[in-house]
Amino acid sequence: MSLASTAQSSPRRTRLFDFLQPGARAAFTAIAVTAVVVLFLAPIIILVVTSLRPGWGVYYIYRGTEFTLANYVEVFQRSVVVEAFINSFLLSTVATILSLGVTVTSGYMLSRFKGWLPKTWFTSIYVFRTVPYISWVLPLYIVNESLGLYDTFFGILAAHVAVHVCFFSWIMKGFFDGIDPSMEYAAMIDGCTRWGAFRRVALPAAGPAIAALGILSWLWTWNEFLFALILTGNRTPLLTVTMAQFVTELGTEWNLMSAMAVMAMIPAVIITLFAQKYVIQGLRI
Amino acid sequence: MAEVVLRDVCKRYGSYNAVDNVNLTIRDKEFVVLVGPSGCGKSTTLRMIAGLEDISDGTITIGDQTVNDLPPRERDIAMVFQNYALYQHMTVYDNLAFGLRNRKVPEDKIKAEIDRAVDILGLRDLLKRKPRELSGGQQQRVALGRCIVRHAKVFLFDEPLSNLDAKLRAHMRLELKRLHRRVETTAIYVTHDQVEAMTLGDRVVVMNNSRIEQVGTPWEIYAHPRTRFVASFIGSPAMNFLDGRVRSNGSGFHVETPGGTFHVSDANATGLAGHDGRDVTVGLRPEHIRLSETKAENALHGRIELTEQLGAEQLVEVVAEESRIMVSRVEAERDLKPGTPVYLTVEPGQLRYFDRETEQRLA
Amino acid sequence: MPTVAADRQPASRGAIPATRRRSRLIGERLNFQIGLILPSVLVLLLFQVVPIFIGTDASFRRWTLYDPDKTWVGLEHYRYVLSDTNFLFTVLPNTFLLMVGSVGLSLALGMAVALLLHRGFAAQRLVQTVVLLPLMIGPVIASTMMRWTFNDQFGVVNAFLGWLGLGQPAWLADRWYAFGVIVFTDVWIWTPWFGLLLLAGLKSLPKEPFEAAALDAAGRWRTFTHITVPMLRPVIGVCVVIRAIDCFRTFDQVWLLTGGGPARSTEVFSIYVYMEAFQNLNFARGSAAAVIGTLIIMVAGLALYALINRFMDVSR
Repeated sequence: MSLASTAQSSPRRTRLFDFLQPGARAAFTAIAVTAVVVLFLAPIIILVVTSLRPGWGVYYIYRGTEFTLANYVEVFQRSVVVEAFINSFLLSTVATILSLGVTVTSGYMLSRFKGWLPKTWFTSIYVFRTVPYISWVLPLYIVNESLGLYDTFFGILAAHVAVHVCFFSWIMKGFFDGIDPSMEYAAMIDGCTRWGAFRRVALPAAGPAIAALGILSWLWTWNEFLFALILTGNRTPLLTVTMAQFVTELGTEWNLMSAMAVMAMIPAVIITLFAQKYVIQGLRI
Repeated sequence: MAEVVLRDVCKRYGSYNAVDNVNLTIRDKEFVVLVGPSGCGKSTTLRMIAGLEDISDGTITIGDQTVNDLPPRERDIAMVFQNYALYQHMTVYDNLAFGLRNRKVPEDKIKAEIDRAVDILGLRDLLKRKPRELSGGQQQRVALGRCIVRHAKVFLFDEPLSNLDAKLRAHMRLELKRLHRRVETTAIYVTHDQVEAMTLGDRVVVMNNSRIEQVGTPWEIYAHPRTRFVASFIGSPAMNFLDGRVRSNGSGFHVETPGGTFHVSDANATGLAGHDGRDVTVGLRPEHIRLSETKAENALHGRIELTEQLGAEQLVEVVAEESRIMVSRVEAERDLKPGTPVYLTVEPGQLRYFDRETEQRLA
Repeated sequence: MPTVAADRQPASRGAIPATRRRSRLIGERLNFQIGLILPSVLVLLLFQVVPIFIGTDASFRRWTLYDPDKTWVGLEHYRYVLSDTNFLFTVLPNTFLLMVGSVGLSLALGMAVALLLHRGFAAQRLVQTVVLLPLMIGPVIASTMMRWTFNDQFGVVNAFLGWLGLGQPAWLADRWYAFGVIVFTDVWIWTPWFGLLLLAGLKSLPKEPFEAAALDAAGRWRTFTHITVPMLRPVIGVCVVIRAIDCFRTFDQVWLLTGGGPARSTEVFSIYVYMEAFQNLNFARGSAAAVIGTLIIMVAGLALYALINRFMDVSR
């Protein structure tokens, strides 16, 4: 009898404890989620609100109820802004296509072959990835200058393809590592050359992963600042640098700069909303 | 249709020989199985025949053509892989057509070939599906179909059944055999499963440590293993081995082991001649041992250690003087308690004798 | 009837010269490998290796952007940079402080975010979207909005602090406040990266150890420190190494938030190189600083990798 009662009492105590826990847990989760959302969303909301405030109401964005789209109109009346958007769009698109095209074969090679050549290439990639951008873009400025490529589309394009060679080769290797090579063996037995097996079997299999990387590559180029700052000037305005110039030239015209930043943010928001799955897949290391 | 000949074939990785001096002739339309433990070189041998690995030394001919320098696509072979290696982004139909399209076969001829293969394999309803929508057995069939449509000179199989569950594996084994009878193509099949080797092969090639141990029909391999390794690898449960010493007694031989003495049959005696006083290993197949609880002549004496009831039969492990001996085919209804003293006898003609040092069979 | 079976005796070695020559397949394979990497190698050589050589060469010469006379001056620029108190006592400490602060904080916060998202709750996908945003909008827009948010007169942060009745610092006019804003911005950008990678790591972990820990009556914290973290070690290690190396080259955030100021007090390595080259127009001195920085990060990267490998068993 006494044995039975002790056996019963101890689970009862646990049950009481358990009963409290889910509530506490849910409350904790709610608080944590709110904190995370506020932390990551608040600056963006502040930016958006600023962009919608008239010039005189921008300094106290948390006061007043005056909202306007005039900032956007004003920003897009400047030809340099429109030009910057077009240039950045073209640059991102072309640089992404070229970067993927150049590195996909390199990643395939690293994944499929063993021996001194892949080993050497992999080591080179590893080493050159650590080199800080400024260390090769600074002299690249001199190179571009002497070749007449400074402030041209091609000059900045080359830098963007070059910066992706190491990292993308590495990522692409990972993609192909995840694909069983026996499909390519089967293709070679079925009458394909090595190149044919790569192009017709391995490449389609890696397609979704490459597309994911392509989306990220496009965004990275869209958002890039340092190369644009060093390698371009007034003839080839790019988004990020043009936006940064609002700060220095206009000093206090935060409403206009915010409007431009919000416009610049749109691709990122669209991609985050509609291609999230791909983005997360592409972020894998 | 073609004969495949391997002459002094070696595969070296640095100083390691993955395949060491393999000589083998596979006749036209023959089904040959390469079997051995993992790492024995069987898959590498197959991949060299396919052209997926370089041949370090020696020559391989298919038909009357030396293929050493030919890439896989020019060897006119077809291959089934362990994981089927179907093209994931193509439909079943396109998977089957891929090899023919690469060879510029006209579309209507392709369709006819696929029709034929689909009938043989029962894939008709699946032609529009993608591989990931198929079950393991169906994928396996598509992989076989890819071979059939090609009319290649040689079919190569690299452990094609090992990804299937046991029941399906037994089923596909039969289908493969039927298929080979129907399409009559030289076939080379690699497996680590001795049951597949015995049931599928016209001849079986047992490999170990990068070398061929023995080539023969399944019965030859089972009944007349040339080495101790072959004897131990083929047969289930595996052969029992006892250390013994040959003694001559004027008219014939007997072999003394710690657990008892065996008479050497007349047929075995010729092989042991001249080995008087030498150390040998005696091989006893579990299925050849009779187990009795009453004392018998020329028997090993031991105690039952464990019994395993399989329903149709019992497996009994007997410990006789430090040696553990497995006995199979014991009647299922016999009531055998661990610890019971028992006597084991074997027909002298069914014993096999191996040289203790070289592990080659003597008799 | 042909009965050629396995022939174990070594065949006559006379036939070997004919068969031993290199197969044409080996040559074909090597050509294929070279063909595959050739585009990447060329791009890397032309636009990265060649500039690095030119920059290194320039660092030994007199080479200003207005007068590149290119006289060989040996190690003069290196001597200058390595005795520049600004470089030694502001730039390098800032760079490493940013590295440690940003990586440490974003790792910790990212882990918290990953654990939170791993729990599963309503609107989880929505929260994940919000978390992904900072990473996607990039450092330029992020820095711009932070600069505005931390504006000393009109920024929301100061307004909020004023509403709480607290002091309202001039965030970007003080070295340590400004540096704090830089670190905060970097953490804001990179926490999602850690969070999402760690979340992927968490999702790929086997369930059994957690069930075993539950059976062993391990508490939440003990489960986290004894099961979760050890099993995530490889992911954590790789993330930290990658992020730390990348953090060394941070430019955008600092340039856009403070421009290295006030009074060059928040400069980091990349900003220093840029200032020497494009503000002081001394390309050679900038190049020397770039070379020094490259060497530092290579050594630091190797050391970091070895350290992480040793303590976190990344290789496992």
